[in-house]
Amino acid sequence: MPGEEIFYLPVTELAKRIESKTLSPVELTQTYLDRSQKLGPRFNAFARLTPEIALAQAKAAEKEIRRGHYRGPLHGIPYAAKDLLAVKGIPTTWGAKPYANQVFDYDATVIEHLNSVGAVMIGKASMIELAGGMGYRFASASLQGETRNPWDTTCWTCGSSSGSGAIVAAGLAAFAIGTETWGSIMCPSAFCGVSGLRPTYGRVSRYGAMALAPSMDKIGPMARSAEDCARIFAAIAGHDPKDRGTLPIDRAAFTYSPSMELQARPLKIGWLTNAWKSLEPGVAKPVAAALKAIKKQFSSVKDAKLPMGPWEDAGNIIVAVESAASFRSLIRSGRVSELTDPLGQIAGYVSEEYSAADYLQALKVREIIQKKMDALFETFDVLATAAQPVAATPLTLNLETDLAFPDPLGGIGNICGLPAMSVPCGLTEKNLPVGLQFVARAGDDFAVIQAARTFQQHTEWHKRHPKIH
Amino acid sequence: MGKKNESAISRREFARRAAFVSVAASLTPGQLLNAEPLASPLEAQQPPNAPKLSPEGQVEVESRAQAILARYGSRLSDAQKADIRRLATEAQPPLDRLRAYTTDNGDGPALYLKPLLEREKKPSPKAAPSKPATTPKSS
Repeated sequence: MPGEEIFYLPVTELAKRIESKTLSPVELTQTYLDRSQKLGPRFNAFARLTPEIALAQAKAAEKEIRRGHYRGPLHGIPYAAKDLLAVKGIPTTWGAKPYANQVFDYDATVIEHLNSVGAVMIGKASMIELAGGMGYRFASASLQGETRNPWDTTCWTCGSSSGSGAIVAAGLAAFAIGTETWGSIMCPSAFCGVSGLRPTYGRVSRYGAMALAPSMDKIGPMARSAEDCARIFAAIAGHDPKDRGTLPIDRAAFTYSPSMELQARPLKIGWLTNAWKSLEPGVAKPVAAALKAIKKQFSSVKDAKLPMGPWEDAGNIIVAVESAASFRSLIRSGRVSELTDPLGQIAGYVSEEYSAADYLQALKVREIIQKKMDALFETFDVLATAAQPVAATPLTLNLETDLAFPDPLGGIGNICGLPAMSVPCGLTEKNLPVGLQFVARAGDDFAVIQAARTFQQHTEWHKRHPKIH
Repeated sequence: MGKKNESAISRREFARRAAFVSVAASLTPGQLLNAEPLASPLEAQQPPNAPKLSPEGQVEVESRAQAILARYGSRLSDAQKADIRRLATEAQPPLDRLRAYTTDNGDGPALYLKPLLEREKKPSPKAAPSKPATTPKSS
């Protein structure tokens, strides 16, 4: 059986071993399953493990590879899917009690894509109930309970892709799929010290995924490196007639190979000076070091500023209105009271009361900021800043009162559908991960991947992992 | 921890999802007549750190709180009712900022309709497990 070091190998390395037949997909899957069975509950990382599916897929992969039919870098690689992605025949709970017994009879398009490249699903990742769509005040806002951070189990993983972050950080699977409406890939990636890609809106089909705010929902990979994310993204991106929000075929598809980087353009980096009001001291130091590294790695690094305006206000209204529509039956039936979090039980009533005029004003403001950001990307290819101004927070924190800070880049990035990536860039004095964020023009996902790849080629932070005994 | 900024909105605002705006136009006069009266004026019930609202803003918040209570009050505890009122109050400043932002008549909303072409028509997702909400026939 593979040794302990296997759990933290990137997909790219696992793939090499699988392709060369020095690593058995079945053994790898069984090893990850054993570890996940043992450690998963410690972190509340999984909604459920799916050993039958995993072993069947792993055996099929092994058989094909032995016959010489190697499908590519995800063939035989174990992963976890956030529990808002439909998987035929097993519960898909959306992290919420009212949907605890929900079973779909079809697979989400993302799952179909991963099946088609031979990836092995070992489980469904825990998550914040309804991906935070009805609001939440505490980390415990989940059917699975609070997800504990593998770096420090008294701390949270952030949400809503909580389990996806914990699974990758703890080496319970080689990668995980997360989703983001606003912050749900970027924040868990930063808090858990993993690499996470939020793709351009519309590049990855949401068919079979829980809808929260359909004009902002996105699906993306969380993994051990930017290159891993690129390879996973290449497998799941693409137009889908079943998700009318997806981009046309030629705009949605993504291909990746390391040789692309040889022909890549030199990136002009804009270092954002107004993305955060302030950084926690433990975060500021690694981020300052990351800036120094970036200045060495890229020939053009200049200060940049986000446009000022009510972008977050617009984003909040869009999310509130669309989530109230998405969960209308839950709200109106009163079953929203079955949610775990006290805020989630009532916020939907409030969200229902937005006017169409205010929603449309938010959409007009969205159009304006899209143009302003497009103009900013005439000067810069990629914007960079800290992924979060704080490191992982205590599990007991009241998020509503004690974790409130402006996040204009999160607001802008998500209402404009911009691609972004969070990669580890250091540790605080308490040994908690710190993330660095890259954001690019809509459609230029390759730029954020290229920037993150370049950073990781010169740093080792993405290779660090928590000590788990 | 990041210092709390009382006036700023945040990523957590997304989680909080507290703002709301319109008077519930869909409420019937009868529902409004039967709405639970507020125990005391809104201003007197606000916590000390609540945002300061204009008189118009206060009226707007109050009318919305009443609309929610008229529709859902019987489901809510006193603490939840108070929480709803607080959330409504905290949500007003972001709405005021958004409304104050100048947009022109010709500024298009970033909303699009993609016509459903015949070749793209697909059957609905198979057998969704939860029963869909009943949609009123009239609009």
